[in-house]
Amino acid sequence: MTDTSLALDPAEMPSARRLPGDLAIWVFILAEMLAFAVFFASYAFARSKDVEMFNFYQQTLDRNAGAFNTLLLVTGSWFVVLAVQAAHRDDSRAAARRIGLGFLCGAGFLTVKVFEYAAKFGAGISLSTNTFYMFYISLTFFHFMHVILGMVILAILWVKTRQGAYGSRDAHGLESGAAYWHMVDLLWIVLFPLVYVMR
Amino acid sequence: MSGAFTKSMARNIFYGGTVFFFLLFLALSFDTHSQLPKRDMRQNITPQIAEGKKLWETNDCVGCHTLMGEGAYFAPELGNVVARYGDEGVKAFIKARPKEGIPGRRSMPQFNFTDAQLDALVAFLKHVNSVNDANWPPNIQG
Amino acid sequence: MQYKSQAVAKPYFIAAIGLFVAQILFGLILGLQYVIGDFLFPHIPFNVARMVHTNALIVWLLMGFMGGAYYMIPEEAETELFSPKLALAMFWIFLVAAALTVAGYLLVPYSTLAAMTGNDILETMGREFLEQPLITKVGIVIVALAFLFNISMTVLKGKKTSISLVLLLGLWGLAVFFLFSFYNPVNVVLDKFFWWWTVHLWVEGVWELILGAFLAFVLIKTTGVDREVIEKWLYVIVTLTLITGIIGTGHHYYWIGTPEYWQWWGSIFSALEPIPFFAMTVFAFNMVNRRRREHPNKAAVLWALGTGVMAFLGAGIWGFLHTLAPVNYYTHGTQITAAHGHMAFYGAYVMVNLTIISYAMPILRGRAANSNKSQVMEMWSFWLMTIAIVFITLFLTAAGILQVWLQRASDTPLPFMVAQDKIALFYWMREWTGVVFLIGLLVYVASFFVGGREEKAA
Repeated sequence: MTDTSLALDPAEMPSARRLPGDLAIWVFILAEMLAFAVFFASYAFARSKDVEMFNFYQQTLDRNAGAFNTLLLVTGSWFVVLAVQAAHRDDSRAAARRIGLGFLCGAGFLTVKVFEYAAKFGAGISLSTNTFYMFYISLTFFHFMHVILGMVILAILWVKTRQGAYGSRDAHGLESGAAYWHMVDLLWIVLFPLVYVMR
Repeated sequence: MSGAFTKSMARNIFYGGTVFFFLLFLALSFDTHSQLPKRDMRQNITPQIAEGKKLWETNDCVGCHTLMGEGAYFAPELGNVVARYGDEGVKAFIKARPKEGIPGRRSMPQFNFTDAQLDALVAFLKHVNSVNDANWPPNIQG
Repeated sequence: MQYKSQAVAKPYFIAAIGLFVAQILFGLILGLQYVIGDFLFPHIPFNVARMVHTNALIVWLLMGFMGGAYYMIPEEAETELFSPKLALAMFWIFLVAAALTVAGYLLVPYSTLAAMTGNDILETMGREFLEQPLITKVGIVIVALAFLFNISMTVLKGKKTSISLVLLLGLWGLAVFFLFSFYNPVNVVLDKFFWWWTVHLWVEGVWELILGAFLAFVLIKTTGVDREVIEKWLYVIVTLTLITGIIGTGHHYYWIGTPEYWQWWGSIFSALEPIPFFAMTVFAFNMVNRRRREHPNKAAVLWALGTGVMAFLGAGIWGFLHTLAPVNYYTHGTQITAAHGHMAFYGAYVMVNLTIISYAMPILRGRAANSNKSQVMEMWSFWLMTIAIVFITLFLTAAGILQVWLQRASDTPLPFMVAQDKIALFYWMREWTGVVFLIGLLVYVASFFVGGREEKAA
């Protein structure tokens, strides 16, 4: 490695080559997406062995709640995009506000999900009921925990943004957190049609 | 390289990811505990079965045999041995082990169990056989 | 050596190698008993020899971890060890306890040993790998706590590097998860469930943090690559290890009475377990390729690279071979498991211990590296032992495949012992390869006694 490449600040590099956020978060995101991908593939494999059973129990899921949740997460992602843009304009107040709104979208998602779970668990459905519900609960709960982790990250970002930690010079940490939040959103956009809708 | 990949970010992800997956593991373990009573036949555990388990342990049976596939691979699986040979067959086999072994062959030691001890061991092995272990082993030979 | 107190590592390393030799000798006895069933019977039955084999392994790996930590921590924290005296006292306690335990295994019947050592007070004995008498278990806890206290205090009073933190986390985890060995409910399913919290969360969890920290330390020292670079990759690798390995525990919960969703959770996450090992291999080779200096200790670098490759093969590839539930249904508890166990333990933990010993021992003996002659011998031992373990693994895998075929998959399954007789050829080949391994190990030991012109003190 030459000294010139070392001296080059990431912000000065051609924009097309710059990876927003930290390489470490991207390794983590790729690992997480791989875990979900294998999980989705397992779902498809299990479903192919008993399509009728999967289709039958799929109808018991609350699609409206799922669709509403999709809307919430997409909106949340949009707020976070706006927050990063605001931070790049050095508008920390606006950035913090938008992170807060993104957080609220996540909270809304969790609330809807808790009601959905309450109905299912109330009906005596568990991981051991059948393979479809095993996947339904495993996938959505695994994702549910990711939403919680995403919200913890957003909360930290909110505090740090209010302290003015991110700006046009360095929005590195904010971008990393935002990338993670988008992953949570993206995973749901695959999960929702796969488990709730697709027949 | 500066800035695009920082140690503090890698460290935070390490701590966050570890806590996250450990909590997930705890959640699954919690669910397992609520489901186990339906599978592990704990309601049938008697003092005799407990005595059998203790004998199983204090003679280090797992040092040669497997039980539900776990242990050493020197001697047969015993999770289903009562189904394979019957109660009396198992007891007779244990009793009949020659003290000095069998020339050139693997042999179980002679443990000099009393009849009550043999009953306890068989009760334990029967209990293990009754556990719902997802239909393992694949066949009677274990 | 930079700090006087690092010298306490030396007895730990020597004892570790001594126990390693004992472990291999008993391994050869076991291998022979597989084909000559009455060998040493009834004086040393198979289960007794196996306890010595596995327990000696565990104790010497722990000795190596402790010695490695005592060597590394002062250098990382840039301060003398909190208490070298405590470290030495613990060494003797640990060694004597280990020796007494092995003597107990060999001299009295196991049930008598259990009665003599208070197993009736708290029944913990007779479970695979955790066969130690209650007093030995308590002793391990005391030694571990004193050790952790010692190195934690050292880190607290000195510099807190990332490598130290990862190592400390691994070692504390090791102590915490060992506590599950004291929990032995009458309910056999619960017993097995928590038994894995010690066994799996050790070898596929916290021990890998120790492994990563050792490897990172040796790579920094031998390659001269920037600490910052190595430490951040260390974090990435141990993150991958834990996010796959913790839920990966599920691959032990397929057939022991636990709910069947573990077949999915366990398969999915343990299928990803090779990734961190692959990352570790790439990492080790990358750092060595980017080296900024030529360290005179070539043998240590070889061990470090070997750790990456062999851990990936043994733990990663051979683990993956039988980790998916539909495959494991047939391979569970066969020689396939034994094949994986041998290569994984050698590739990951034996080799990382030999890496740190290879790096630290010459320095503890007052030189930067051993003489060329000694290093050549050490590298010979590397290849002899590594190639031997590869072939042991291959022969056991062949034996395992045949065993599964004859005893499990066949329409007319054969009884266990009939199947065993049919695969005896592979056990013979494994035994002879084991002899090669022993020769490699003896060459290794001999390399410590070879003189020649040495590199000057570091």
